[in-house]
Amino acid sequence: MPFEQHGNPLEPFEERLSADLRQAGDTFDADRVALVTAGELRGRRRLLLRRRAAVVGGVASLALVGVGGALLLPGRGSSAHQDGASVGTSRHTATATPAPSPVSGDQMIRTLEKLLPKGNFSKVEARGSDERPGPYVQLVYDDGKGAAAISVGLGRVEPGSDEARGTTECPGKVFVHYDACSTTRLPDGSAVMVLQGYEYPDRRVDTKWWSAELVTPEGQHVSVSEWNAAAEKGAPISRAEPPLSAAQLRKLAGAGAWRDAIDAMPQDTNRPAPQPSASETAGSVAIAPILKSLLPKGVFKVSDDSGDDSAFGYLVLDDGKGKSLVQVNVQANMSDVEGDLFGSGAEVLADGTKVATHQVPSEKGGAGAVMWTVDTIRTDGRRVVISELNSGAPHDDATREAPALTMKQLREIALSPKWWR
Amino acid sequence: MRQARADEYAEFAAVRAGHLYRSACLLTAGDTHLAEDLVQETFGRLYVSWRRVSRVENPAGYAQTVLMRTFLTHQRRRSSTERATDVLPDMPADGRDMPLRLTLLEALARLPAKDRAVVVLRYWEDRSIEETAQAMNASSAAVRTRCVRALGRLRELLGEDLGEYARP
Repeated sequence: MPFEQHGNPLEPFEERLSADLRQAGDTFDADRVALVTAGELRGRRRLLLRRRAAVVGGVASLALVGVGGALLLPGRGSSAHQDGASVGTSRHTATATPAPSPVSGDQMIRTLEKLLPKGNFSKVEARGSDERPGPYVQLVYDDGKGAAAISVGLGRVEPGSDEARGTTECPGKVFVHYDACSTTRLPDGSAVMVLQGYEYPDRRVDTKWWSAELVTPEGQHVSVSEWNAAAEKGAPISRAEPPLSAAQLRKLAGAGAWRDAIDAMPQDTNRPAPQPSASETAGSVAIAPILKSLLPKGVFKVSDDSGDDSAFGYLVLDDGKGKSLVQVNVQANMSDVEGDLFGSGAEVLADGTKVATHQVPSEKGGAGAVMWTVDTIRTDGRRVVISELNSGAPHDDATREAPALTMKQLREIALSPKWWR
Repeated sequence: MRQARADEYAEFAAVRAGHLYRSACLLTAGDTHLAEDLVQETFGRLYVSWRRVSRVENPAGYAQTVLMRTFLTHQRRRSSTERATDVLPDMPADGRDMPLRLTLLEALARLPAKDRAVVVLRYWEDRSIEETAQAMNASSAAVRTRCVRALGRLRELLGEDLGEYARP
């Protein structure tokens, strides 16, 4: 008697296929820890690239990720050595020019120790150039004025790509709190951004995180981070500021030794691009310009800072009575979470489009901050969600009682056909 | 990501990694390097939207869907026309079930990517036609057609007596 699958009896061939797939599938095994770690690294990198909160994701942190895995997994110790175990070496290796000899983790450590001013080093760990997800080194450095974590991560970006540009452009202040940020062009054509910010976007602990992101014209990417604590998270503040000045950070990122290590990394030409796929986003519409065009005319001053991504955009509006941050996500193929997002209370329009509205205290907001949201999904899974705060940034206190746009206006914007043209 | 949520994500990822990887190996017809890449990319996407994902009824199923779409997107990028994979399956590391695995993977490798996705969802994931259609963002009718076509091709490649033929 064939077993049934969802009420339909399987043919004998299907039944055997199913059993054999199971048997064959079960013979595959990988280093799961390495897979998970590398996946989380990609997630963090994705967040870093966005440098903003998504309305839906609700993540406003400028998550730290050193390239190539200067990744400290909070609460799970710094197990980068074991987590970084090779996940398999790519077969897609460029053969035109042989890669230079690999740079070992120990060499990475020696390089960093040599480049730092005199001091004591502890809690040192590193990965070499041929280990996935990429070379990095981290240690605790004490120049006599307090222990501080420092890390260097190395990787590659596509030269001239959005990723390359985005890596060295200072983020908009709407979503990232920082004291200073500047981008400098070096004589060799490299761009280096130094950002002096905070580990926690809501500043619940004032751990300072300063970083330098350097990208060369060839796409070599060096990421240096330092904190005024002995660990990224969960360690008490040990000094007023991280040990290296902005200029020192810039110089450290520019050291030639890092580029040699990057050149020694195996070429991997068959990796899926990190951008959200067409199946996750609406395509290539730029969100902020459409949002701008849908605003009620002539009433608002609109920020320049607007996001530049095809699935998410935002504007800060000011009608003279205080700032309002408006954020929009446009997503395709969201049917699978429709039930979760649109409960039984959702309004259903004549064409089947569902509309849900929420007016709630802002999750991350300061005093008096509220978030108004209109969420819409069409029958084919295309979703537009627009949210608005009565403050200019997610963590700020309210600047006004109600946000600038009414719920009716938000609804009209969300339901506009312009998002899908 | 807040600590509690980060821990929840880490636990989920640790539990699901093995199954996702095995699914990816079947989807890629044994290209374990690509499978690792797909799983990492899947985890990256789940990490970014974990807050939302953790609230859906079946995060594990959702993760599989993300993997499937990541795979299909990868295939789209690779080639504008649908075609069977040109990568031969990797040799098994330990020799377990080698004849079965090789035979089956070679047959899977000869299917177009979308047909392979249908087979994996239907017969490895045990999903219904409707659920498969939803995961692939296709109509039920299209999935049914693909399924019939893929089964026909596999029958051709493996013989009607698949079990007998494939097992050592």
